[in-house]
Amino acid sequence: MMKMNKECKKTIRIMEVCGTHTQAISKSGIRYLLPNHVKLLSGPGCPVCVTNESYIDAAIGLLSHDHVILVTFGDMLKVRGTSSSLSEKKMKDNVITIYSPEDAITLARKWPQKIVVFLAVGFETTAPIMAATIKNAYENGPENLFFLTALKRMEPILRFILEDERNKIDGLICPGHVASVLGADAFQFVTKEYQVPAVVCGFEAEDLKAGIYNLLDQIEGERPVSFLNLYQRCVRNTGNRLAKECMDEVFQKEDGYWRGIGKVSNSALGLREKYQRLDVKNKFDLSEEIISNPSACQCREIILGLKAPYECKQFGVRCTPETPLGPCMISSEGSCSAHYKYGRVIF
Amino acid sequence: MCLAIPTKITSVYGSYAYAETMGIRQKINIQLIENPMPGDFVLLHAGFAIEKIDQQEYIFLNHTLNEMIKDDENE
Ligand code: SF4
Repeated sequence: MMKMNKECKKTIRIMEVCGTHTQAISKSGIRYLLPNHVKLLSGPGCPVCVTNESYIDAAIGLLSHDHVILVTFGDMLKVRGTSSSLSEKKMKDNVITIYSPEDAITLARKWPQKIVVFLAVGFETTAPIMAATIKNAYENGPENLFFLTALKRMEPILRFILEDERNKIDGLICPGHVASVLGADAFQFVTKEYQVPAVVCGFEAEDLKAGIYNLLDQIEGERPVSFLNLYQRCVRNTGNRLAKECMDEVFQKEDGYWRGIGKVSNSALGLREKYQRLDVKNKFDLSEEIISNPSACQCREIILGLKAPYECKQFGVRCTPETPLGPCMISSEGSCSAHYKYGRVIF
Repeated sequence: MCLAIPTKITSVYGSYAYAETMGIRQKINIQLIENPMPGDFVLLHAGFAIEKIDQQEYIFLNHTLNEMIKDDENE
């Protein structure tokens, strides 16, 4: 780490876009060991944090049907729509948290008289799993299982950030688990098209230090700008072929809506024609009114790397993990939550 | 929710396998992995193996995970 302390006053902004990296960086304290001019920013790496209000509203709307049961990952319960969250609206047994999408199949078989709707949220780490579950349900039933999808793609949102004039990202730590599915090559465009140094690195403090050291070398001109996969023990350059094929068979690209950011072209994965009968939007009339950033929460700025969590006036005052005002504080992978949990240890 | 957990496959049954995760035996889905074999180390995400990993990474990730759990327990 010696090299990082050398004289250089230009602010250097390095972004990571993986919830597990967010946690690992915050926990390791690396952020506070770096000289002041090196800023580590957390981008849109937490799928819960970027889920649009309208999606939560649509899910809550489904609860007005007596025979509907929603199944979801636990992180989603506290995320607010325009006026409330699933945890506020749920009644006994109509919202169930599960660990694996396969549990949704088991539950739908258990209650054949109910409509079971799985809230399919996630990036490309989770999308192949959703694809496999949807494919299995399409081929073998049960007939009463449907999906409300809000699956997101990493590449379009990275391009969105890299093309934002206000957003001078000098280096990128690529999302490790998404890269293990898509392959390191899927992130070459960051360096090739935007000339921004990028690394794929692991989750140990040593991995992160190596990644940041490498990026700083490139940013400071000590090495040529290049794309590096420093996590070859887990991330192949071409990724997981079966997972990518499964995802491609079930989903197609479509425009996605991101909390606080709005529409990003081709940034979501929707069901292909063949699988449309499993889309709950074709079973019930769900009007999704797209609303962005209605509250004082500054998750938009945080997710885009324009602000650090402590620059939000609510941070640690009205907004804590116990009383979260925004999604970045709800999920343990959210930037605000990680800063709150581990930042105080350092100060 | 993006967390992936290091897991060791102990036996394979078609699209499913029994695997050991931090000392706990569980059934996992392996349909997204090519040629899964007993003894393989994989990343487990939401009940599915999403990628094979080598033994060194399995040890590294187990260590990271244990640290995170210890940290949560100490709160
Ligand atoms: S501290 Fe709370 S209110 Fe502020 S940006 Fe983070 S989640 Fe939103």
